[in-house]
Order: sequence, then structure tokens, then C-alpha cells
Amino acid sequence: MISRLRNNPLIKIAWVHLVSKKRQTIVAMLGVMFGVTVFIFQAGLLTGLQNYFIEKTVNTTAHIHIYNEVRAERPHVLDNVREYDATWKVVRNQKPRDEERRLRNGYQILRALERDPRVEGVAPYLGLQGIVRFGTAQQAATLAGVDIVREDQLFRVQENLIDGDMLRMQTIPNAIILGAGLADKLGVQVDDNIAIISSKGVVLDMKIVAVSKTGITAQDNTRAYISIRNAQRLLQQSGAYITDINVRLRDVNDAQAIATEYQARYQYRAEDWVAANANIFGVFRIQNITITFVIASILVVSGFGIFNILMTIIYEKMPDIAILKAMGYRNKDISTIFVIESLVIGITGGLLGLLLGFIASMIMSTIPLNIQGFVSVQYLTINFNPVFYLVAFGFALLSTAIAGYFPARKASRFDPVEIIRSR
Amino acid sequence: MTQEQPIIVAKHVSKIFTDPVEFRVLDDINLTVDRGEFVVLVGPSGSGKTTLMYALSTLDTEYEGTITVDGTDIKALNPNQLAQFRNTTIGFVFQFHYLLPDFTVLDNVSLPAIKAGLWSPEEIEERAMKNLTLLGVADQARKRSSRLSGGQQQRVAIARALMNNPKILFGDEPTGNLDTKNTALVLDILQDLKTEFHQTILMVTHDMQFTERADRVVAIRDGRIIQHEQQ
Repeated sequence: MISRLRNNPLIKIAWVHLVSKKRQTIVAMLGVMFGVTVFIFQAGLLTGLQNYFIEKTVNTTAHIHIYNEVRAERPHVLDNVREYDATWKVVRNQKPRDEERRLRNGYQILRALERDPRVEGVAPYLGLQGIVRFGTAQQAATLAGVDIVREDQLFRVQENLIDGDMLRMQTIPNAIILGAGLADKLGVQVDDNIAIISSKGVVLDMKIVAVSKTGITAQDNTRAYISIRNAQRLLQQSGAYITDINVRLRDVNDAQAIATEYQARYQYRAEDWVAANANIFGVFRIQNITITFVIASILVVSGFGIFNILMTIIYEKMPDIAILKAMGYRNKDISTIFVIESLVIGITGGLLGLLLGFIASMIMSTIPLNIQGFVSVQYLTINFNPVFYLVAFGFALLSTAIAGYFPARKASRFDPVEIIRSR
Repeated sequence: MTQEQPIIVAKHVSKIFTDPVEFRVLDDINLTVDRGEFVVLVGPSGSGKTTLMYALSTLDTEYEGTITVDGTDIKALNPNQLAQFRNTTIGFVFQFHYLLPDFTVLDNVSLPAIKAGLWSPEEIEERAMKNLTLLGVADQARKRSSRLSGGQQQRVAIARALMNNPKILFGDEPTGNLDTKNTALVLDILQDLKTEFHQTILMVTHDMQFTERADRVVAIRDGRIIQHEQQ
């Protein structure tokens, strides 16, 4: 103890102050600890969930989706004849034009895209709404006409299968893959035969070859994969008829730029995955802002705790400060004492918070929850990104440094004469 | 610097308090203290004697006029230089001991020497023990300072003040809080310091016993020196 005092009496003074206020010191440390724990836990939980969702979304939506955007709105029929005042336009119930949703030269665009070095995979798509019927049970479904091998390259179809074999789509002409929710509602399983009916009145008998579960509830409840040929038959269309092209890029971050480029080149709407999921990212952003405020306010409160204990110590230890100054300790030495005190509280509380946050996250990630909602998950996916731990610790240090700065400055500015004479 | 040069020279020192009302607490003070001299400042409460002592001891630099201590103009120093100057040149004993209560006696006495940074830890401990022995409290060295009696604490405070061989020892009512026996003890110690070590001492006191032992008594009233009494 003596030798440490000799080396740095300021550290010992700071230590003695904290020990003499043991309870308040611990409460201040707990404040910081709690802030850091909540930070790590919340950030890990929230971004874990968001990442899970983004991963699912990226795997189930195309990086770029090219389609023919059919606008229901069109200019008033009379505008083409002459420019009239608005009050003269009286033709009502003007129907949308019967525009084709098809991509003209769809397969040519597909082949051109395949040659683009930035593209990893391209898949044609022909979607339609239909009814799936099994005996008396029937369900509305989104029938996705796909080239299953290409589709798998883009959306990892095989990975999401819970039963059956994707490749039977290639050997069986009237094969269908059902979403898990859809299969459940119909009460069917692999190798059962079902019927699908389109809005054009075409009925096809299909054989279930696989059941798929992506984890995104809305998709699993409605989607079924069929071949493009069968989709064309349901729509009574010829062999080149496709409505969409999905593109997977080598680097997902290029999506926006490349989408803009494709849209200009092919004169069809090319939407990148971020734009397609803009509403979800909007929700994420609001979540993140909210949680940032919650965490910030916790750290501010713990900062007040530190400020409070330091102010108490300072007023109690005024005589010590006075005599240290009288014997030749500088203002900076005095403020160093209190900065050390706040850092001891901040670092200890911060480290405890990191540990506790990690433990809480670990425990949370092992509790089975089986949430069935927006997405279905069995365990919470917690993000253990070390950046959160660094940021949380950094924030803890920052808030304690700020909370310690003002008392330290106040202490260093005390006039020793005033203190000594006031006794 | 020659030995004949006075250690403290105060020229035309004035100080005005403005709060709560304007009040001239020091009024054109001129004072010289020689090396090895034992000077006592006396005067009624509010006479300005304590204010003068704090100005002479560099703790207070808000005054008009000039004070030179050991050849250095105090006002020319910035706060850090002033702190260092105090550390190496000046020792303080106050009415209350101002020991850090949770530190041992030895630690308390060592504090000024650690700040000075002139000696190794072993040397500091040796000096501290020598000073504690001089003041007759060496046996208390390892105790917490709060465990000592009032008289012992004040003697430890004197030992601390002497730690860096100060050129001047300042006292603000150093016996004001002690009983008769301890007051006599402290007085003897101060006199020994003067006679044996030629320690310059400047004290503010009400205690008439000091005036008998001092080389010179300076009486102050209403911020002016009214009497120099050479003994």
C-alpha cells in the first residue's frame, strides 16, 4: 500500500473516497452496468431478429426483380381528342386498358442478363392467383411458375424443403411444391394428388412432390411452385410467356445501381430488394431509433448517478481538497482524483454490464419460443456482434467521463482559503 | 541570494472585499520578515491579520501591491508554478489538522514529499519518520490519522508541514483547538524549530503565550499595522 501511495497518491485518495462511500459507489456502478446490459441485450435481440428477417427476405426476394408495371391509371380518353376544361369531361367508368403483364422478349433479356458478370443467377417467373383443391378442401394460392433449378439457385428452395424432393419437379410433368401452411390447411402431404384451378377456368391435376417452409408465414401459407409450362397452360398462354425475371447478384449491395441500369436498358420496371421491402426497413429504422433513445436515457440516468456520488464526495472532502492544494497539489491533480473515481465506476460497471449482457443474451438464445407471427422462429437469433460490446462500453465510458468532468472541474476550482477560513 | 536578504517583503499591500459591502480589509501594508525570524501577527477578529497571512503565504493572490517571497514575485507565477512554489518553499499548520482521515500518519506526512518528487520512496519514508520522531509521534506512524488524539494530530500536521524543508512555516491559530498542555507542547516544538533549525515562522494567533516567545509581534487593526514590537 505504501509503495503504491508513493507512486501515485491520487489513485489512493480516489480509492479511499470510493471505499468510504461503498453503497453509493455500488449503486452508481450498477447504474452503468444496467445501462450496458440493456444496450447489449436489446441491440443483440433486435438486430438479431432484423438480421434473421433480412436474411430470410434476401433469400426469398430477388436482389433485382424485373417486371412489367401495369398502371391502372391512364389519361382521360377525351384528352386525346381535344383539350377540354375539366368540367366538360363526363365519360365515367373508364376501364383500365387490357395491358399484357408479359415481358416481351423475356427469354432474350434473361439470356442477356446471364452474360452480365455481376449477375450470379437469373430465374424466369410466371405468377398467377389460383385455387388449390383437395377433395372438398380448397385454398386460394399464389401459383409460382418457375424453372425450379434456376429458382433454387436464387432462393435456396431445396434448403427450405421440410419434406420431399425438389428435383422431381423436373421428372414429373405436373409436379407441385406446396408451402407448409398451405399443405397443412388442405391436409395433404407429399405424393398426394390435388387440383389447381386458374381464373381462366383451367383445371390441372397435380402431384405434390415437396413441402417448403421458409419461415415467412405469409409465403408459407399461400405459395405453391409449379413449372412455367403449367403456369402458361393455366393462363392459356404460349411458350414464351413470362411476367417476371428475378436476378441474383454477386454483391447484394450493388442492387440499387444495377436495377437503375436495367430499368433504363430494358424499359421494364427493375426493383431492387431494398425498395421492394422499403416498408420493413422503415419499421426497422423506427425500432432502432426507439431503442437508441431508451438506451441513451438509461446511460444518462446512470451518468446522473455518477454525478451525484461525485458531488457528494466533493462536498464532504472539501477539507482534503483544501489541504492538498495548500501543500502544492495542482488543480489538475485534484481533478484527476475525481476523473479516476468516475472512470473506476464507469469501467467496473461497464465490464460487469458487458458480462451480464453476454450472459443474458446467451440464456435468451437457448430458450425455445416457437413464435408464429410475421416470421416463424423457434429460437431467438441474438446478434453477438462485438461492435455492440465495444459501442456499449464506449458509451458507458463517455457518459461517466462527462458525468465526472463537471464535479472534477468544480473540485479543482475550489479556493482553499475559502474552505479553510469557513471552518 | 545572500543570507541578509529578507525572506518576505510586502510592499503597499491592499485588499478590498466587495461582498456584502465594500470593505478595506488590508490597507497599505508594508512588512519585511527576515530569515530565521519568528513573527507573530496579532489583532482582534476582522482586523485583517488572517487575510494578510494568506496573502503572504501565496494562497491568496487577489490583492494590490507586491509580495516577494524568497526573491520571487508571487503575482508573476501562474497557478501551476504557484502550486510548485508552495510545495517546495512553504509549510502550513492550520487551526484544524487537515489530515486525510483514512490515510495512515506516515502516508499523510509523505504527501508533500511525493508531490515534490525529489526523493525515492525509501528516502521519503526515512524523512517522514525523522520528522515524526522530532515531534514525538513516531510510534503512531502506522495508525490511521483519525485514530490519534487532537494534540497528536496537530503534531503530525506540523511534521507534514516540515516535510519538504520549507523556507517558511506559516501558522493560522495552530493551537486554537488544543488544550493547555498540548498548546505548551506545540509552542515548545515551534521554539525548538526556530532556535535549533533557524526555521522562519509566521503565525496568526490570539494566544498571548506566542507573543512571549516570538522575535517580533506585529499588531494589526482595521487592516493597518499599528505596532511593531521587537523583543
